[in-house]
Amino acid sequence: MSADTRNRSGLAGALRDLPRNVWNSIFRNPVPSNDVERSATTFTNFFLHIHPVKVHPNSLRPIYTMGLGLISFFLFLILVLTGIALMFYYVPATSQAYDRMLDLRGSVAFGTILRNMHRWAAHGMVAVVFLHMCRVFFTGAYKKPREFNWVLGVVLFLVTLLLSFTGYLLPWDQLAFWAITVGAAIAGYAPVVGKEIQFLLMGGNAVGQEALLRFYVLHVAVLPAVMTVLVAVHFWRIRKDGGLSRPPEAEIKPDLEVTRPPAVLDPKRTYGLQGLVRGPLTRVGDLPDNELYSWPHLFRAELFVLVVTVSVILLLSLAFNAPLEEPVNALHPPNPAKAPWYFLGLQEMVSYSAFWGGIGVPGIFVLLLLLTPYLDRNPKGVGKWFAKERLLANTVFLTFVVVNVIFVIIGTFFRGPNWAFVTPW
Amino acid sequence: MTVNLKRSSPGGAQEPGRRSMLGLLTGAGLAGSGLLGVISNLVFIKPRATYGQPQRFTIGKPDDFPTGSRVALQAQKICVVREGDKLAAVSTVCTHLGCTVGLSETGFACPCHGSRFDHDGVVTGGPAPKPLPWYKVTLAPNGEIEVDKDTEVPSGSYLSL
Ligand code: HEM
Ligand code: FES
Repeated sequence: MSADTRNRSGLAGALRDLPRNVWNSIFRNPVPSNDVERSATTFTNFFLHIHPVKVHPNSLRPIYTMGLGLISFFLFLILVLTGIALMFYYVPATSQAYDRMLDLRGSVAFGTILRNMHRWAAHGMVAVVFLHMCRVFFTGAYKKPREFNWVLGVVLFLVTLLLSFTGYLLPWDQLAFWAITVGAAIAGYAPVVGKEIQFLLMGGNAVGQEALLRFYVLHVAVLPAVMTVLVAVHFWRIRKDGGLSRPPEAEIKPDLEVTRPPAVLDPKRTYGLQGLVRGPLTRVGDLPDNELYSWPHLFRAELFVLVVTVSVILLLSLAFNAPLEEPVNALHPPNPAKAPWYFLGLQEMVSYSAFWGGIGVPGIFVLLLLLTPYLDRNPKGVGKWFAKERLLANTVFLTFVVVNVIFVIIGTFFRGPNWAFVTPW
Repeated sequence: MTVNLKRSSPGGAQEPGRRSMLGLLTGAGLAGSGLLGVISNLVFIKPRATYGQPQRFTIGKPDDFPTGSRVALQAQKICVVREGDKLAAVSTVCTHLGCTVGLSETGFACPCHGSRFDHDGVVTGGPAPKPLPWYKVTLAPNGEIEVDKDTEVPSGSYLSL
């Protein structure tokens, strides 16, 4: 299993063995060529050990997950890397921020492509995280024992939106300024604490230097840290909840002593601590095991998704430039002043009633989302897209998705000056 | 390997009173510190001084505003209304979502979502839920007009010159 470790003697020998010894000190296992080595590599490599050694074939079916969670994660990685690069040139000051945007475009090497990648990955992440949520819903994957991971997911979705929202102000152009003015005012409609929240968010009575600094700190430090921790817990829970959801008929039925409760353990035998917590893991006899080794099946799939995600973002960034409008003019709002596209559904509702559109209805939606796994206790239909047993739940959710999308489309394309109805053609 | 499988009761077998008391105190101490932490962070994050445009400022002498005029002061986000001997300051911040309203024939109009207000700032159309507030206006000893945006006055209350 381990590589050849016979060393040559003397200093010359040590030098000649140096590359091999350094390599072997980093990688404990050779490139796997049998099942034991495949297991060992997955266990002992820090970056691989968050994966199970073997995965169920259902988890690898591209049309089951569509890789959407993974794409969300890779987009987050792209955002962290390009974001850190942008921080080297950005200054969160009202007198400089906009000029720094022009510098990125004009005089910083790779500035344009970095900014484009950051912008398109951010838009993409909002969309993909939302689609991932839809996938989880339509496959019934939030059911016992995965309720809490769904709740974590809803929080992750909100953090994703907050990251986008705080980043939106940073270029300090007209678009940014008025979108944030409008967005912060929506927060002001929350009952009792609304005005207070608006004041804390803006660090004053209007969007200005304090607001820019606050949004910057939230955007580059606080929210990414929260996101990182939550994503880590999300991933950990996937493992502890028994891997990805799958249809019950695909479940391996361990008819052996896998889940005997600790109380009836045989006192004459010796158990590992893990065995005490989860039941002894010894499997004897012919267990139907059609699971596949993560190396290479899962890792190859993940690498493929990574390459596709990065390529798409790169191509988009080469083809389209991130928008930059006029510098901020606090005296003249553009007409109409529009929020970022994913908030346009919200803004459309807000144009009917600020409280209900901005706080009431979205608040109820988020609450319903958080409670979904606890309200829908029908255990059937897990692991299949649009299962017949979940017709009601899926119809309700689909309606909610379609209504949202329609509102976003109206807000984006059908609203003109004075928020009057216009036709885009 | 010996493993203890008995569930320990919170008090433990011996000295139940003392143990649970200690547990209770520890819990209360931690909860209290947590609460204090949250409160002090909230206090910290709330700015004591605000920067930028002050809430109280002077805008010049009454003569700068001829009778019958409506002058929008863009930086201060107010509109100074002068009618005969009376003068007032009306906010030009839309009560819907905070865009700056412009002056129109019939009063004020907001470009963002189309709210309209009459000359007194009363909503005549659009999503704005409240009229534009009026601010307290006084005459400073040196004859300058002073506006206090921290104090709202009922609409229609003018300063008599
Ligand atoms: C930053 C955002 C998120 C990231 C990076 C992320 C990542 C992932 C990944 C990599 C998986 C593995 C399966 C797959 O790729 O589909 C997964 C599964 C899951 N996610 Fe997320 N996710 C995010 C947001 C959400 C949201 C918004 C929800 C729902 C509200 C959610 C709920 C779940 C659940 C319940 C599973 C388990 C699904 C199953 O067992 O089939 N996640 N997530
Ligand atoms: S901010 Fe004036 S109408 Fe919305």
